[in-house]
Amino acid sequence: MKRATLASAIVATSAMVLSIVPAHADSTGVTATSIKLGVSTPLTGSAGLVYGKVPGAMRAYFDYINANGGVNGRKISLVIRDDKYLPTLAATQTTNLILKDKVFALVGALGTATHSKAYTAAALAKNNVPDLFINTGFSGFTNKAKYPTTFMVLPTYAMEAKVMAKVIKDNFPGQATFMIAQDDEFGSDGVAGFTTAGHKFSSTPTLYPQGSMTAARAEGALTALAAAAPGKPVLVLFGTTDVTATILKAAEKLELTKKFTFLAGSVGADANTLLALGVKPTTIDGVVSASFLPDAKDLTDPYVKQFIDINTKYNKGVTFDNYVLGGMNSAMLTVQALRAAGKNLTRAGLISAIEAKGSKFASAGLVPLGWSATSRVGYNGYWVSQLNAKGEGQPYGGKLVIYTTDSGAGAVEISNFTRPTMPKNGIPTNS
Amino acid sequence: MKKAGKVHKPTTTRKRLFLFILFGWLLLILGDRVGDLELYQGSFVATYALAITSIVLLTGYSGQLSLGQSALMAVGAYAGALSIFNAGWHPVVGLIMSALVAGVFGLILGLVAARLSGPYLAGTTLALAISLPTLANQFPILGAEEGISFDVGPSPARFGEDFSQYKWFFWISALAALIMVFFIVNLLTSRYGRTFKAVRDNPVAAQLSGINVGRLKVNAFAISSGVAGLSGGLLVMLISGVSPSAFPLSLSFSLLGAAVVTGLYSLKGVILGGLVLVAIPEIADSLVSRIGGSEGFTTVLPGFIVSALLILAVVFTPNGPGHLLKKHH
Repeated sequence: MKRATLASAIVATSAMVLSIVPAHADSTGVTATSIKLGVSTPLTGSAGLVYGKVPGAMRAYFDYINANGGVNGRKISLVIRDDKYLPTLAATQTTNLILKDKVFALVGALGTATHSKAYTAAALAKNNVPDLFINTGFSGFTNKAKYPTTFMVLPTYAMEAKVMAKVIKDNFPGQATFMIAQDDEFGSDGVAGFTTAGHKFSSTPTLYPQGSMTAARAEGALTALAAAAPGKPVLVLFGTTDVTATILKAAEKLELTKKFTFLAGSVGADANTLLALGVKPTTIDGVVSASFLPDAKDLTDPYVKQFIDINTKYNKGVTFDNYVLGGMNSAMLTVQALRAAGKNLTRAGLISAIEAKGSKFASAGLVPLGWSATSRVGYNGYWVSQLNAKGEGQPYGGKLVIYTTDSGAGAVEISNFTRPTMPKNGIPTNS
Repeated sequence: MKKAGKVHKPTTTRKRLFLFILFGWLLLILGDRVGDLELYQGSFVATYALAITSIVLLTGYSGQLSLGQSALMAVGAYAGALSIFNAGWHPVVGLIMSALVAGVFGLILGLVAARLSGPYLAGTTLALAISLPTLANQFPILGAEEGISFDVGPSPARFGEDFSQYKWFFWISALAALIMVFFIVNLLTSRYGRTFKAVRDNPVAAQLSGINVGRLKVNAFAISSGVAGLSGGLLVMLISGVSPSAFPLSLSFSLLGAAVVTGLYSLKGVILGGLVLVAIPEIADSLVSRIGGSEGFTTVLPGFIVSALLILAVVFTPNGPGHLLKKHH
């Protein structure tokens, strides 16, 4: 008995000792001359039509950096896998990125349902795979316990909703307000944001399952809402751009385009896409939205000009728009993160670098970045825009006002943030 | 046993059991020698092989063409997910529920479709395959597009902290598939199993010799659905959760295609069928990178390859490749 007790004591102690030894720093996907990044995102399907340009834009920016020395002598390659915005496919594709392509980190994963499923299925937490600058604003991703390696970049949908609530309060007092939102975590995040901000809609928000907003359904919803309130109610649309287009086209058919003030969430308000999907310029004129980046048509913005230049040279055949701008912006942040992590590049090191230095990174964003040791929130605010018939987004009310807030119950404040100057030629030199 | 020539029946079953255990042991050893990626793919092979088994049973052995196996897999998957996530039962119970609930569903379906055959049955099952997954959007408890988590839990602590999650999946899926296929093989080689073949080859003669054709077909549907349901549960285990997008119509066609290509009338080809289904996306991947196509093409190509294989198989080996081999005896 004594020997068995001694043996088990040794085993138990060794186990305890071994468990507190930190996991060895992981450099999978990194060689002396290369860094392999990966992304699972829709390239085909209805979401692919809208978001298909983003990974190519990221790759174009990486190619530009590679042509200018890379990061600490390493060239960045991006493995792109198509998940058609389907959670199951996102799960298997992300698993393939980790197991088969053996990427160092993920960047720009898209979608709430898709990425939350992919995160679990691909065991990203267990493998400590950095999950950078995801292309979704679901506030659940700020939960470090559940998503320890994830860094958001878009402000959360809850934050956007809070800013919208303030905009409605300040500019449309007394009007009835309605909301149509996607029936999943994305939409309910928005609904929750309005509730936190203390805003009460004139009727319960209409929720529709993703992919189910047909023309008929849109017409039915609009007819009901138009009948429900006099005057010019504000209609908040919290869905993807294809759904916003369906609803706006239904409004055209029912001649209700002037009946509502449309307040379209940033996810569903890309003017180019709306026009391409058949919405009339006169309908888009006046649609209110929110953004944290400059408008892709603002040629006075140095970041926009630089990205257009890179796009022309490294992304041939692709028209520059807000999606290309967003992709390149995330790529620029990624390059700064990789630089900040140093020559001895490890997964853990990359995560710490963003926590320590990320909030100071240069980017096109007109609002502050919030990464820190305790926060995984990227941009923490919005400026309110209004579209004109040409599809340009200009500051609502004529003057650029930056609103910042948190993802919790904090108030919405007006900020006097000025963004860092763009590094020369758009090539970061940070460390 | 009073029937002639049945003396060696128990020994055959025991021999089969021994073979299955031996095969399982081989898989166990193999599992220790390969990487996570191979284990992940191996789990899919086992799951698909099981799904193909259900098709061989239903179409190959009882002569009923169903284009809706993916719907039955979905029923099993949701049943399993609800059992584990909502009801909080043990994962093994969850997997058993996947088989049971799908089996009951198949029983009802079989009863409803009892008078249908050929293209009419195919059409009905096709409609089911298209419509069933969208039901998830109608009932909030089914979680709509996000679905329900299907978590079999981490590997037992006694295997150590470094025990790969993918090895754990492989063990579970391979074991479940082995057990179920063993059961089916025994069923099909029994006297009851021979009545299946009788009904498939000549339903009128079978009826005349006293076999209750209707009841048999319904039973075949039920058992096949149970097998499909279990494979559905295993499939969503691999992706950590069930959602409608896990069971598209293309899955039914892929499974049927693989079953036809590797032999619809025999269970010998099911593992090969599973391998084919896992290999096709890999082939598509390397094809696309070699010819330099866009990444979007990579997800479209597998469906095309499956369709092409199916057409080729039907044209050149209508009775399955096994028959081709037999000719050379």
